[in-house]
Amino acid sequence: MQLDLINFTKRFGDTTVIEDMSLSVSSGEMIALLGPSGCGKSTTLFAICGIHRIDQGQLMFGGKDVAHLPSQSRNVGVVFQNYALYPHMTVAENIAFPLKVQKMNRTDREAMVRRYAELVHIEALLERRPAQLSGGQQQRVALARALVRQPDFLLLDEPLANLDAKLRLEMRSEIRRLQQETGLTAILVTHDQVEAMSMCDRIALMNGGRIVQYDTPTSMYERPENDFVASFLGNPPISFVSGAGLGQSEARVARYGIRPEGFGPQFGSALSGRVTFVETQGREDLFDVSLTNGEVLRSIQPAGSGIRPGATVQWGVAQDKLLRFDQDGRRL
Amino acid sequence: MRNVNWLGLAFLSPALVMVTLFFLLPVVLTGFFAFTNMSTATGVTGGEYLLNSASLRRLQNEGLPQEVLAKLEAGGYRVDAAGLAALAEATTPATAQELEQLHGAAEFSDRRDMERALKDLLDNRIRRTRDRKEAAELFKRSILNERFATEAAFRAALSETGTRTAYAEQITTAAYTGWVWTTKNVELLFALPSTLRYAANTTLYVTLTLAFNVGFGLFLAITTFYLPKGQGAAFRAIWFLPRILPPVLYVLMWRWFTWDTGFLATVTGYFGISPKNWMLDTSYHAWTVVVLINGFVGASMGMIIFSSAIRAIPTSMLHASEVDGASRWQQVRWIILPQLAWPILFITCYQTLSLLTSFEYILLATDGGPGRATEVWSLAAYHTALNNYGGNLEYGLGAAFALVLVVIGIAASLIYFRLFNFKRLITKPLIEG
Ligand SMILES: Nc1ncnc2c1ncn2[C@@H]1O[C@H](COP(=O)(O)OP(=O)(O)OP(=O)(O)O)[C@@H](O)[C@H]1O
Ligand SMILES: [Mg+2]
Repeated sequence: MQLDLINFTKRFGDTTVIEDMSLSVSSGEMIALLGPSGCGKSTTLFAICGIHRIDQGQLMFGGKDVAHLPSQSRNVGVVFQNYALYPHMTVAENIAFPLKVQKMNRTDREAMVRRYAELVHIEALLERRPAQLSGGQQQRVALARALVRQPDFLLLDEPLANLDAKLRLEMRSEIRRLQQETGLTAILVTHDQVEAMSMCDRIALMNGGRIVQYDTPTSMYERPENDFVASFLGNPPISFVSGAGLGQSEARVARYGIRPEGFGPQFGSALSGRVTFVETQGREDLFDVSLTNGEVLRSIQPAGSGIRPGATVQWGVAQDKLLRFDQDGRRL
Repeated sequence: MRNVNWLGLAFLSPALVMVTLFFLLPVVLTGFFAFTNMSTATGVTGGEYLLNSASLRRLQNEGLPQEVLAKLEAGGYRVDAAGLAALAEATTPATAQELEQLHGAAEFSDRRDMERALKDLLDNRIRRTRDRKEAAELFKRSILNERFATEAAFRAALSETGTRTAYAEQITTAAYTGWVWTTKNVELLFALPSTLRYAANTTLYVTLTLAFNVGFGLFLAITTFYLPKGQGAAFRAIWFLPRILPPVLYVLMWRWFTWDTGFLATVTGYFGISPKNWMLDTSYHAWTVVVLINGFVGASMGMIIFSSAIRAIPTSMLHASEVDGASRWQQVRWIILPQLAWPILFITCYQTLSLLTSFEYILLATDGGPGRATEVWSLAAYHTALNNYGGNLEYGLGAAFALVLVVIGIAASLIYFRLFNFKRLITKPLIEG
């Protein structure tokens, strides 16, 4: 089902948290609401599921305005950051809760619970209580509970934030698998750009209560609207240098953005600099190179170069990957 | 190491003293009093020995032979210093003096002999028969109505009456006016029909008030939770007022409210109902008022505990239930109430105990009336031991009443203790909000 948020504004008292925001999610699509902490991601999510009232604007589910509907009648599944499982109920009861309040009969309910427990691989845990589960298992229960009522939309608020690195990787693909299997329209809130890029069809990058850019991960990475987007996406992050540092100048260009993979010996030897920092990441090494005017460029290279801090290098930049920004930070 | 222990004990000692003084000692004393027949009549210290008509009646009931009773009653006449002094008062010192000269230390077993002695005085003859009778009475030395400070003195006097020693023991016991050890109080508790009545009243009182307390406390906590913050706090503050009001003032307001010239009577008067005391006119009204008075006070406590318990529920859990489709009522029923299980259990246990032993609001409101309709166990204990119309305060019986409460209280505490140790209620969930 298509979701449209049109000119949405949210205020808490006098402070405007979200201003005039518009967002469309196509049916079956999974998008990420990505942004730094406090930019209004959760607020947007809560407005969509009805926990927060919408102060201004429209919220359309499949072309129908639902802004005035209470959360109970919006048919949205939500996975909260802390999972918000009901501690006094067993896993089965937790999953069955959305069906129970719909007064679905017991046998149908049990069949559904079983089906969704199998979908998220927790059929062996049904009689346990949330307190007896690991973080990853709790998260699966929360997912099953959100999915069991067959919602029109699935909203996930930083679902992976509480998991360890390995589990996070596992659940990333798990959530994507579930979303694709069920064909649900989903919104994932995250402040982790890797998560957003690897899981979602499109990313809405937010900053200060606005959407800065809304695009596919690839085009957002390659063609960022401005320097904020360019710096937010990519790990290790992009580095910015002036024309002087780079030894080239163009009209209206205030700064150049160079991603680490766009700087290195394979791109020539136009720039000379001193290696100030080396970080070994196993397969790759990360270098900080201080240019003659003191500006720093980052480079990522296959491991085993043997270059140590203090060494002087003559490297070049990939001209075709150079990003140009004007005085206001807009990309040219 | 020893030093540390002593230091710990030293820090604890005020608490230990407090507990001993204000908790242990009363309990021990209650147990002690309960097995005595202490009352206003016996006093709480040791007593004297006194035979009076009441003790004779008691002895008669115990089956003391009639002739022994007659002997005790009869007594004789003795010309002794006390009698002579009294005679000097009643007549003239000369009369007394002459009697002493003639019959000093004489004893007469019969009244006629005594009278003859008075009649036969040479110089100070008492002429009138009536005067003689009165004067003779002054020398009557019966064991009856005479107080003896020690048992030995009483036994000596008893043997003088010529009572056979076989009965001495029984008579001495009957004559003792101080308190004695007895299990009569406990037997009486089980025998008296009023005891059953008090027990039934107490059950009714505790059950109804508890239901009201917990139910209304829950209702207030939940409804104020859904109100906007400021309003909720204001409502809770209002419901908390009865608790911070002095009980006397609070109950006085209820009495004013229900008096025959009070608010209720005035208002119902407009509808043609003749004014009456709405609290005391029937036992139903009395019970309603008693439950409401205690209930409103008790509910505020439940409300505070339940409110904070509700607010301790992570908001995300409430949000989750809303997006899961739960209505307000379903949210209360399936999310909030189950998580209040522990506080509800706690309040129930706590209130049961405090309701069992508290009677001050009933005392101030109905004083157990009308009749004995609202007389609960603890109030009965108070009335028996410390305040009754007859004037004879039966400390022993009252303590026996109280002892039953102590036993129930300790038993209930032990049960609750186990209950609250129950793992599932104590362990906090590992996930939190
Ligand atoms: N109930 C509220 N009252 C007032 N301000 C609020 C309230 N909830 C959120 N805010 C403010 O709104 C802004 C956005 O909050 P929001 O929770 O949407 O951030 P977020 O993007 O989800 O951040 P995070 O990644 O840290 O969760 C923040 O500045 C926050 O202080
Ligand atoms: Mg958030």
